[in-house]
Amino acid sequence: MPSEFGLFVSTDIAKCSGCKACEMACFQSHNIKRNNVGKTVGTISVPVTPKLYVTVIETASMPVQCKHCENSPCKAVCQQKAISRVGSQIIVDEAKCIGCKDCLMACPFGAIALLPFYVGGRQAPQADSSGGKVAASKCDLCYEDPEGPACVRVCPNEALRLTDVNEERKKKNIAAAEALAVINAGDPGRRALS
Amino acid sequence: MSMGVHEIEDAALLFVFGYNGADSHPIVARRIVRAKQKGAKIICCDPRRIETARIADMHLQLKGGTNLLLVNALANVIIEEGLCDDDFIEKHSTGFEEFKEVIKKYTPEGVAERTEISAGEIRKAARMYAQSGRSMILYGMGVCQFGQAVDVVKGLANLAIMTGNFGRPAVGIGPVRGQNNVQGACDMGALPNVYPGYQSVTVPAIREKFEKAWGVKLSDQPGITLTNVPHHVLHEPDPKKRIHAYYIMGEDPAQSDPDLAEVRESLEKCDFVILQDIYMNKTGQYADVILPATGWCEHDAVYSCCDRGFQKARKLIEPTGDVKRDWEIIGLISKAMGRPMEYTNTVQIWNEVIDLCPGFMGATDEKLEKNACIQWPCRSKEEHDMGTVFLHKDGKFAHPDGKAKFAPSEWRPPQELENEEYPLSFSTVREVGHYSVRTMSGNCRTLRNLEDEPGWIQMNPEDCGELGLRHGELVKVRSKRGYCITRCLPTERVKKGATYMTYQWWIGACNELTIGNLDPISKTPEYKYCACRVEKIEDQAWAEKHVREEYEEIRANMGIQTKGGRAA
Repeated sequence: MPSEFGLFVSTDIAKCSGCKACEMACFQSHNIKRNNVGKTVGTISVPVTPKLYVTVIETASMPVQCKHCENSPCKAVCQQKAISRVGSQIIVDEAKCIGCKDCLMACPFGAIALLPFYVGGRQAPQADSSGGKVAASKCDLCYEDPEGPACVRVCPNEALRLTDVNEERKKKNIAAAEALAVINAGDPGRRALS
Repeated sequence: MSMGVHEIEDAALLFVFGYNGADSHPIVARRIVRAKQKGAKIICCDPRRIETARIADMHLQLKGGTNLLLVNALANVIIEEGLCDDDFIEKHSTGFEEFKEVIKKYTPEGVAERTEISAGEIRKAARMYAQSGRSMILYGMGVCQFGQAVDVVKGLANLAIMTGNFGRPAVGIGPVRGQNNVQGACDMGALPNVYPGYQSVTVPAIREKFEKAWGVKLSDQPGITLTNVPHHVLHEPDPKKRIHAYYIMGEDPAQSDPDLAEVRESLEKCDFVILQDIYMNKTGQYADVILPATGWCEHDAVYSCCDRGFQKARKLIEPTGDVKRDWEIIGLISKAMGRPMEYTNTVQIWNEVIDLCPGFMGATDEKLEKNACIQWPCRSKEEHDMGTVFLHKDGKFAHPDGKAKFAPSEWRPPQELENEEYPLSFSTVREVGHYSVRTMSGNCRTLRNLEDEPGWIQMNPEDCGELGLRHGELVKVRSKRGYCITRCLPTERVKKGATYMTYQWWIGACNELTIGNLDPISKTPEYKYCACRVEKIEDQAWAEKHVREEYEEIRANMGIQTKGGRAA
């Protein structure tokens, strides 16, 4: 059973080598239907706009993406009601977005960007048709894809993982219990650390 | 490489020297990550905090241009502390006494200041390398692209010999090659001194063998290396010895060679230039004739991996447009010059190659078809010979006496050091999004959208602060030889005083700056060291416009279609 809390993708920084395969896959998977993007060179006619950002600092390389916060500040500030919770994911409805940037300001991770909004290989027009539309864009955990997040699937080092905090806690509880069972035994003679 | 790439993950210790796998070869880098997961210790020698440094147990962040000092000091510690594999040295090597004599003065304390690595760290690294049981060295262009390159390669080999790290699984030394199929180009004799299979042009018996097979007279003199071409076009006084025609295949010297101003002059002054490539590139602008060739998915081929592994590459799609396969073009030119060369497929060519090269003899088409990869040497066509995963088994080396030879060398500094006028050091590097001169990857829209002109110069934030430079701002980078415009990238991963650029950008063409100082043996240029300065551009709006216009102009010169003045 899936967690009641939002899942998110976390990175094992001992494995990430900053190769950006996740960025490519993210863009590709979100534009197959919408913009007819294929898997080969020559099928892309729209700007390449991933929803996660490989970030390199002195001590780490890792993609930064939406944490699907439970008390989502982006959702709270969006006056257009363009950001909502679908299941356990926080989703942006780009059609509703007016590009006010409040969610970009609110997000503490910088996980949201304002990007050109393309449909059917063309940039959608602004409300008054005066130019191309931009919209807030962020990780949606590939919720429409039954196989789950493309970034996790494509990582050559298996550095990315879809994390469920409840599952994570249970695993840690079991590991802790296993370790403690030995040293907490009633009979001091049975203690492993003798 | 003396080992197979797959063996990387089984080493007990990886000594990664001047090799940035994560940016150059992400797929090989996976092996380094896996080695770490399997418990290998990693020592990373690199002036930058590259990805390998991040997961390494030790990062020796040496000062650029001091490679041999560090390598010799490591050897010094291994000798002084009695960490040598005396049995291996005794049975399988020569020249150890002379080697010891030279190495004596390279004490860790003596090199600490120049290398910027403490004596303690050098000792610790030497002990780790000598004592792991299975130590493997990987090195890259951070070793080879210096005026003193071959000596450092030999220095690394010395370390492996003296500790017995040769001839067993998951040990040895591995040059993880710089370019796609560069191993294949060398294997097939695209070197001025050897025929295919590393057979010397100066040995009469070998020459006669090829003369007989090809039915032509062949020269007994080694040819000219790529990096010596400008000299032989511009400065050769005897017109008979001068280069008059230059046939360039799958290479973009006007982008990738050092000191581009000189390269351009030689391409302009050369009487006749032919370019054979899959797309237009910068060199194409100087070509008299352009021969369009098929790309990797449009033809059958045999490819050599850096670990000597031959693999078949198969045609996936039919070529479109006015293109021919490389071997067809060569055949037609040969025929027009009076020597018919009539192949109908690549298997015929491959059969000829293996019949003329004893080391490749056993790598038959059938075996390649069946086994995906055969690593040379593979000398027998019999089924049992499946090639050689690692070289020097049982301590048998290629010298006539079957022994490894210690090759001591003295350190030389890079040719052009930082000075008052050009206070920063400059080195060319790679980035993950683009490959080589991006003749291929620059035409991939996805990659182009990730990183595009005019590229970046990586600098320490302190240096940026002193010059008042901010992230993303356009700057002028200048050396004695020229300048280019690029964007400033402040990063803690770079030491103060050092700068780095990738060499594939047309506008941010960093080879305008680099120096044509060649290693005396390999003739590889010193791409990894020269002096530069970074200049702030006050009028950023002008600079942005200039970059855009320049880019459009280059694309127009190359005949690349543009949409309404914008890059298509």
